[in-house]
Amino acid sequence: MQSIVHVCLAGLSSGMFIWLVASGLTLIFGVLGVLNFAHGSFYMLGAYFSFALVRALWPHFYLAMVLGTLGVCVLGYVVERFFLRAVYKLDLPYQLLLTFAFVLIFDNLVKLIWGAGALSAPSGLGPLEGSVSIVGRRFPVYSLFVIAVGPLVALALWAALERTWIGRIVRAASSDREMASALGVPVPALFTGVFVFGTWLGAIGGALAVPYVGLMTTGMGESIIIDAFIVAVIGGLGSLKGAFLGALVIGVLSAFGTRFFPTFDMFLTFILMAAVLLWRPRGLFGAAR
Amino acid sequence: MGRKASLAAWLLVLAILVAIPFSTGKFATYLTIRVMLLGIFAIGYNLLLGQTGLLSFGHGAFYAAGAYGLGLFSLHVSSHPLLGIAAGVAAAALLALFIGFFCVRSNEVYFAMLTLAFGMMVFALVWNASDVTGGDDGLIGVVRAPVALGPVRLSIARDPQLYFLVLPLFGLCVWTAKRIRQSPFGLVLAGIRENPIRTQFGGIAVHRYRLAVFVLSASFAGLAGALEVLLESGARPFMAHWTHSAEPILVGLLGGLGTLTGPLVGSLFFIAMREIVQRFTENWMLGFGVILLVVIMGFRGGVVGTLAHWLATLRARGEA
Amino acid sequence: MGAPILEIRRLSNFFGSVCTARDLDLSFEEGVLTSIIGPNGAGKSTLINLLTGHLPVQTGRILFRGADVTDLPIHQRVRLGICRSFQIANVFPGLTVLENVLIPVLSAAGRTRRLFARVSAEAAARAEAAAVLERVGLSAARDLPASALSHGDKRLLEVGVALAARPSLLFLDEPTAGMNPVERARLLESIRSLSGDGRATIVLVEHDMDVVFSLSERVVVLHRGELLCDGAPDQVRGDARVREVYLGYEVEEAGPAAPRQAEVSR
Repeated sequence: MQSIVHVCLAGLSSGMFIWLVASGLTLIFGVLGVLNFAHGSFYMLGAYFSFALVRALWPHFYLAMVLGTLGVCVLGYVVERFFLRAVYKLDLPYQLLLTFAFVLIFDNLVKLIWGAGALSAPSGLGPLEGSVSIVGRRFPVYSLFVIAVGPLVALALWAALERTWIGRIVRAASSDREMASALGVPVPALFTGVFVFGTWLGAIGGALAVPYVGLMTTGMGESIIIDAFIVAVIGGLGSLKGAFLGALVIGVLSAFGTRFFPTFDMFLTFILMAAVLLWRPRGLFGAAR
Repeated sequence: MGRKASLAAWLLVLAILVAIPFSTGKFATYLTIRVMLLGIFAIGYNLLLGQTGLLSFGHGAFYAAGAYGLGLFSLHVSSHPLLGIAAGVAAAALLALFIGFFCVRSNEVYFAMLTLAFGMMVFALVWNASDVTGGDDGLIGVVRAPVALGPVRLSIARDPQLYFLVLPLFGLCVWTAKRIRQSPFGLVLAGIRENPIRTQFGGIAVHRYRLAVFVLSASFAGLAGALEVLLESGARPFMAHWTHSAEPILVGLLGGLGTLTGPLVGSLFFIAMREIVQRFTENWMLGFGVILLVVIMGFRGGVVGTLAHWLATLRARGEA
Repeated sequence: MGAPILEIRRLSNFFGSVCTARDLDLSFEEGVLTSIIGPNGAGKSTLINLLTGHLPVQTGRILFRGADVTDLPIHQRVRLGICRSFQIANVFPGLTVLENVLIPVLSAAGRTRRLFARVSAEAAARAEAAAVLERVGLSAARDLPASALSHGDKRLLEVGVALAARPSLLFLDEPTAGMNPVERARLLESIRSLSGDGRATIVLVEHDMDVVFSLSERVVVLHRGELLCDGAPDQVRGDARVREVYLGYEVEEAGPAAPRQAEVSR
């Protein structure tokens, strides 16, 4: 019983990282119609940038994270403004391949600068250090923090989209680009803004992930993007609600898999994905697009 | 190109290919085999992407299926190369039938994600099942047994000899791809690329054709994988990784997606560039990414496409 | 000339709370050129989408020559003979005009599974495709890429592609929209001769009253997903409910120009 609770909690916290990446991915897809393969790279860059700054800004751990993620946003801006914008009018494969090219570029630039090996995270989580006792076993405070951050982000996103005027504009532009433009909405600038915001979400995920996992590798982007894709397929691409629920389910399922079926834990998620696809080809909450 | 000019060009290429093992060194022969293998992979993939418009990010899985198919067959059943190749191609086709079933019903974006995910699943499977596949080390110890056709035993132990097994298969693949592109089936594939809904309204069960071309392109990939095992005497999990899946995409784009010879020209360029860049830096993949970026931003017709466009413009100017 | 080629029974369709078809009961007689008219939002295009399989049916049944086709996928309905053209020209842009038409022809001829035959050698199919192009007046453009056609020619090609699938029941969704008078006249002549041939029953969705009243043998009026009126053109034109909802009161006095006027003011 104790194991099950802890596995669930571990799954929830790892799921939150997937949610952070998937939220940005979903937002970008929902508004711009682009599947950003490079989102995992932004996650990874969020980690590397933040921790490059941690050493410099010691002991302002969280300030480093904030600045680091902003640095990634600059990259996101460059990608959208100077490259992606030019290919919106082309067929979908070219847009996908463009973001894919950036995966190769970013992943290998990081390898070039920081080396291909794993880097260990600097310690010192400040107030989030240590662990608490849950049903008789100790569980890290930081993980609880992560479990809290996820729904907060979800709530904030929902509130922003549904309740604010900018959210309304974003929703309008995503459902009818031409109409919004005709009504005076600066659609290109809006798209850039959404892309950068989505990048920021992914980068935060990466920055937060480092203390959790303990180390960083260039591979972290590759594996999280696949998880995010699976979540998007299950939840329905374009649905934030679907992405959130999907991330929770995948997180918990993976945790159970790792704990109880070590060699083949990946297959639980794939089986789930295949099953969802057979039942609902567009995902649980997916809309036709 | 006129019919005769085209035929002459193909014969010239054939003559060059036949001459290579006799007139160049070991390394050049080896590299040419690699170009042909990548060419087989890419030309099959181009039927899926260039002709039908389906972007798969997981075709490395079928390359790996062909490789491990031949490898395991060779180690446990029979080392006859032709049987092994058949086993590899069959394994790739069957895997594609299974994966394709889930993927072809989805639209373009889901298709890309799903093929990526399934491809990495195969990678994980191969990596984890180390008892069977050798895991990270890959499958080793696959021998190049002689090709026994009745009373005749043709050795393929040396690279120049293997070359003459690969060359006819390569030629067969190119010919097959050419015929498919010119066939009614190929026209339907083009229709699916241009407008899938209209194709349905033309009375075509689009999913079935998508699955068919998916399996077909996977078979080409499987053939290339199987031949690579013979060349390198082993299979590696990396074959199923998405970075390997990216190779035929880049090669196709580089050479020209909508064309027959594009993937072949692209393969030549790709291997040549890789050899050169790798002398200066280990980070070839970075160069790969930059090249991909440049092609997408400005040269989407690829080498063949851009050349054809220039020729057409020149001809038009000449006539004006 | 009496059996219904298509029967619609209690067909309903809702997009959320918006009703685009409410308990529709309708039949189409073989060989009778029918027009479906109605104000915007009446559910005309939705009806075609439902009948041709583009939209899944929520409630109701569709019978084609007595057989239930309600749940059949699009391509199977086409093979039975139910074809359509689209309101927005929906062709194969990168292919030539001939190739556009060849695809449905090859499909109808069952020759699309051939991997090693050559399209250039498919003489029968090519001849049939050429005949279709002749019919819609695009023979001269046969080797041009479809994307290079003028808007009007694209609409003609649109009809051609629908025609090439050997329909017995052909739905044309606003085929003359955006055409200049010459193109419109040519198309109308083709439609008239097609219908006269007797090989295909044609159902037209139209806004242009000239086309509707000059061409049709029967007019069906839809309003908010319901059948408002159904009968011969004169009968419909004179119906008070139709005029109130759709045509406007001036139609009888002013003649052909007024319906378009009334249409715009709606």
